[in-house]
Amino acid sequence: MRSRLKFFLVFPSVLVALGVCVALLSVFQFSLRAYIPGSLEVGGFTLANFTGLSKPIYQTAFWNTLALSVETTLWTLLVGYPLAYALVRVRDRLLKSFILIVSITPLFLGEIVRTYTWIIVLGSNGFANSLLLKMGLVDTPLPLMFTKLGVLIALVHITIPVVVLMLATGIAHIDRDYEKAAQSLGAGPIQTFLTVTLPLSMPGIIAAMTTSFAWTFSAFATPQMIGGGRVPTISTLVYQLGLASTNFPFAASLSVAGLLFTTAALAMMGVGTRRLKKLGAH
Amino acid sequence: MIKKYLAGGVLAALMAVGSVAQAQDALVVSTWGGSFRDLIDENISKEFTRQTGVPVKYVTGGTIDRLNKAKLAGSNPESDITFTTSHIGFLYVASNLFEPLDFKKIPNYANIVERGKLSPFHIGSWAYVYTIGYRPDLVPANIKFDSWNDLWNPALKGKLASPDFDPSHIITVSAILSGADAKSWAKGQDKLKALKPNFKAFYTNDANSQQLIATGETPVQVLLSMNAYYMISQGVKINVVIPKEGAVLGIDSMGIMKGTKRQELAYKFMNIALSPDVQSKIVAMKKASPIIKNAKVSPEDAKLPGVFTTEQQWNTQAILIDHKFRAEETAAWRKWFTENMMN
Amino acid sequence: MKHRPSLPLALRIAGPALIVLLLGFVLLPVIVVTIASFNEKALLSFPPQSWSLKWFERALTYPDFRGGFRASIIATLWSSTIALVIGTGMAIAIKRFEFPGKNTLEAILLSPLVIPHFTLGLGLLILVSQLGAGRGYGLLIACHVMLVLPFVLRSVYVSMENLDERLEQVASSLGASPVRVLFTITVPLLSPGLFGGWLFAAIMSFSEFTASLFVTTQATQTLPVAMYNYVREYADPTLAALSVLYIFTTAVALIIANFFLGLGRILNIEESH
Repeated sequence: MRSRLKFFLVFPSVLVALGVCVALLSVFQFSLRAYIPGSLEVGGFTLANFTGLSKPIYQTAFWNTLALSVETTLWTLLVGYPLAYALVRVRDRLLKSFILIVSITPLFLGEIVRTYTWIIVLGSNGFANSLLLKMGLVDTPLPLMFTKLGVLIALVHITIPVVVLMLATGIAHIDRDYEKAAQSLGAGPIQTFLTVTLPLSMPGIIAAMTTSFAWTFSAFATPQMIGGGRVPTISTLVYQLGLASTNFPFAASLSVAGLLFTTAALAMMGVGTRRLKKLGAH
Repeated sequence: MIKKYLAGGVLAALMAVGSVAQAQDALVVSTWGGSFRDLIDENISKEFTRQTGVPVKYVTGGTIDRLNKAKLAGSNPESDITFTTSHIGFLYVASNLFEPLDFKKIPNYANIVERGKLSPFHIGSWAYVYTIGYRPDLVPANIKFDSWNDLWNPALKGKLASPDFDPSHIITVSAILSGADAKSWAKGQDKLKALKPNFKAFYTNDANSQQLIATGETPVQVLLSMNAYYMISQGVKINVVIPKEGAVLGIDSMGIMKGTKRQELAYKFMNIALSPDVQSKIVAMKKASPIIKNAKVSPEDAKLPGVFTTEQQWNTQAILIDHKFRAEETAAWRKWFTENMMN
Repeated sequence: MKHRPSLPLALRIAGPALIVLLLGFVLLPVIVVTIASFNEKALLSFPPQSWSLKWFERALTYPDFRGGFRASIIATLWSSTIALVIGTGMAIAIKRFEFPGKNTLEAILLSPLVIPHFTLGLGLLILVSQLGAGRGYGLLIACHVMLVLPFVLRSVYVSMENLDERLEQVASSLGASPVRVLFTITVPLLSPGLFGGWLFAAIMSFSEFTASLFVTTQATQTLPVAMYNYVREYADPTLAALSVLYIFTTAVALIIANFFLGLGRILNIEESH
């Protein structure tokens, strides 16, 4: 009876897992097959798809993706931490609700809506430039669309909700007694924050960092729509090669390389965060 | 407990209802979106539905996108008729996606101009040019674009846009300016690379192109004449110029998808598209060149750069890149362009 | 004795000022897009010179958006419900039972959290093109199930942490079979968490874009894909209007949810005193 129950509980998941594996295997397999131009058929086994990745545009794409992921993570942490802190520590219920709604509504909007709203802000005729021109801060419109800066701004904005939530969880679980103890020992509020609160919120910070990095690495809509082809990332090139060109083998090799890259980067982050964990350990 | 079952039942019913396939008998037309879709919808589809009572639905997307989707759909085509460019049409033919056409079922084909006769599988629908279009208010007054070479003017740094999906125009022009032609395009590569600093963006489709020039983001473009005239009709000041070397000719075409179940309706649609009334409306609305000899074109429209109504114009103002060659070379051109220019 | 040291004046002003600034940054695009959606002219520009509601009308009547909405509802309802059933079963099995390959299976099921959606989408696309199968709702739903299952799993895990195992043991010792315990004790006690998991999965599925872009056709395109295609084809503020509708509907729903359910508790950001 127990084993039959186990079977029914587990078997459907096995099917889903099979689906994931088969999809990934397709990518792996195609990365090693030759591309026949103009056709969906593929040729024999070859490493040409991987050697082809050495061209400058793909190097740029890897670099862009890495740089954007790191920069987005850093900026989102800087912007998100104060918001998360306020969200948890503010007493007024109405204010708390306001911060909560404002912070997490973007989470439910989906990439397209969020990215689109930034197109209107960043364009030459958009809000940002209209304001800067009116205020006389610039003479000609600042190029924000089709630049890495524009993509970065939008990516930060899109990543804030998740980071705020994860940081807030971390901050909320801090035992206030530690802070009270520090204060009763004579520590001022800033000192208490730096020596007690911040280290104790490390688990939340680490979770937020890892998630933000992984998400940004695989972001597609934002670099595609705001970068407009001039900010190549791994995701936009896979789309261009895979869907706009049906060069499945090359798109696959790019995906595989991207996966290895992410894994390596996350592993290195794991090493780094272990050091951070020691700071917050107790 | 009961409430839970009730909720579950409603949910299941919703899902079941939603999943029943919609078996509506409409003619499905694959076309570019935006103003081109509107063009087909208002001029051809309306008349088609008026005559047959059958509604028309659309599959939209870029030229290459739709070719790829068609290849992926295989013997179960998403559309009945496909509009595509003349040269990409040959790629459809090569992938065995078009039905061979029975021209007897398209009486209006008898009036088509020579250039509109493409292959046994696809025929021209209208024509246009890719040429230089610019915002006179955002470009130095002394630059007149008498020649394609004016695009290389250093004063135009960061002001230029061209298509990312089809670099054949600028590649051919660079070749011509280097004393070669489309077939020996390698000779123009250095010249083209020298143009890189002037590029600001590469537009991904018609709407993108329209937006970039309308907002002034890229005041100079290698653009489709019909898009330019559409923007002008929306109140944007654009000058359309045919340089002395000529403008790159573009012919849009249509074909019937293999495996379609609505062949007779598809033929009717094509015939209506080639009728003098509809062609006249298309020219008037979008400033295209008519593909048939007997369409009525107003004198003002006939004077517009890029609207060809006489044999002489077709022969002297248009740079024609051989369709089949262009089709075969497109993938290589795109790859070279992406790797060398868009980076 | 209550001893609360007061913050220096500078901090008391700078702190809230910073928060206002940051909230302003988060709200900026929302405000801008709302203003832009009322622009009468077809070309996106700022600030608008004339005003109109016509883009809202277009957003609600444009056939591709209606079709997209319908496809999204179908995909979301099916995939989140299927994921809920499968995920709950799996989570219970992981927490209560032992079986070979347990950890590997779990790792595979959770992997879509770190695998880029475009990779999964590409893989599925390659798969169906090789099999010659079409891209229909089956593929779309299967894809979404793979993508949202991890969220269901994590949600059920959290619920199970708060579930007192002794209640199950008591029922067991009173003679109930494992199946009976499951359906009369475990699942009912998990219901709030299950509902939360389903809701989260549904939200993730409804807004999913990248993988859907690869696996949908014109007939099955979900709303985000339809919106993406629209931006590529038209340069007018219709999508601004649609975005405004989206944003305000979501915000209102969240405000109501917060008022009745207390989102703080659900999202695990309440302090425990």
